[in-house]
Amino acid sequence: MSDDPYAILGVKREATQDEIRSAYRALAKKLHPDLNPGDKKAEEKFKEVSVAYDLLGDPEKRARFDRGEIDASGAERPRERYYRDFHTAGAQDHPYSTAGGFADFMENEDILSEILGRGEGRARFRIRGQDVHYRLPVEFLEAVNGATKRITMPDGATLDVVIPPGTNDHQILRLREKGGLGIGGAPPGDALVEIEVGPHKLFTRKDDDIHIELPISLPEAVLGGKLDVPTLAGSVRMTVPKGANTGRVLRLKGKGVPRRDGTRGDEYVTLKVVLPDRLDPEIEEFARRWQAGQQHNPRRGLEA
Amino acid sequence: MISVQEFLLRTRVEHQSLEAWIHAGWLIPPQTEPELSFSDVDLARAQLIRDLRDDLGVNDEGISVILHLIDQVHGLRRSMEALLNELRGNREDGD
Repeated sequence: MSDDPYAILGVKREATQDEIRSAYRALAKKLHPDLNPGDKKAEEKFKEVSVAYDLLGDPEKRARFDRGEIDASGAERPRERYYRDFHTAGAQDHPYSTAGGFADFMENEDILSEILGRGEGRARFRIRGQDVHYRLPVEFLEAVNGATKRITMPDGATLDVVIPPGTNDHQILRLREKGGLGIGGAPPGDALVEIEVGPHKLFTRKDDDIHIELPISLPEAVLGGKLDVPTLAGSVRMTVPKGANTGRVLRLKGKGVPRRDGTRGDEYVTLKVVLPDRLDPEIEEFARRWQAGQQHNPRRGLEA
Repeated sequence: MISVQEFLLRTRVEHQSLEAWIHAGWLIPPQTEPELSFSDVDLARAQLIRDLRDDLGVNDEGISVILHLIDQVHGLRRSMEALLNELRGNREDGD
């Protein structure tokens, strides 16, 4: 590296002012830091060239330098910041920022647009909002038949949650874009609502089927008959066959929980023979006299 | 914010040129009311325009083209950087 300004500019000592000027221009076009945004060395070289031109570009200063009155270490003009310095990582967007050089890459909603997406003067990255989790207790029949429940979010806003018919316990409903706010114009996250289905005093549920225990009287068990059975859709008349025992399971087809495809599960009715709270003498007398009954051993095969 | 007076002094640009540059859309001052003022970005950009015109001998048409291309290069550099950072970040996550 030479200190000689003539060498730096690459001109002869007897060069004309015009030659010096065009030599400087040729170098500056190559070295100007704003025309070399990625080249750190360009700034150093450009500084040297600028100092040399400061000296030689001015005929008066050049004459004094040639006479040896001043040396080449002429005061360099301090440059504040180059334009390129406002485009570095982390620099804020400004009116001159443009995505024009890559807008065509971002036409699709893909990872590139998430990384490159930039709003006017907003954050550089677009980050989708966070998913927010809620628990929502619902009553048994609300889950079965469907309902709309309102939840209040931490920020005080309310959110209507549509519970579709047949919703299961611990099922998670995803409410699109009802979660945390996105950054940089990105969409919000989702609200994930976990449904907690409460118990019912009559019904229990297994998948799409409803189970119920139906107490029947002794005469109903012996003689059979038509009985009213509670179902999700109100009472239904069911035929109990003669001699229906405790533990006998009868199926009511299509009386279960609605499914997505429009069909429904079934209701299973488990019979339970129940004697009256107080036995009257007539039935005691009958039991004592009933020969076949005395010989019936329901525990046959139960010996260990 | 930089006032017009200070801006002219620091950029060593004539008032007339400044008006022409704003008119050409080369400079977009962030504030025009109640009085014109400039940001540091405007200052650096004005110095670039001045260099292009005075030192590099670029004419007005050339300056428009150069500014446009430079702004695109910067946009590309930043997005390239964002992409690379994303890739580096993902690689670290994977380790």
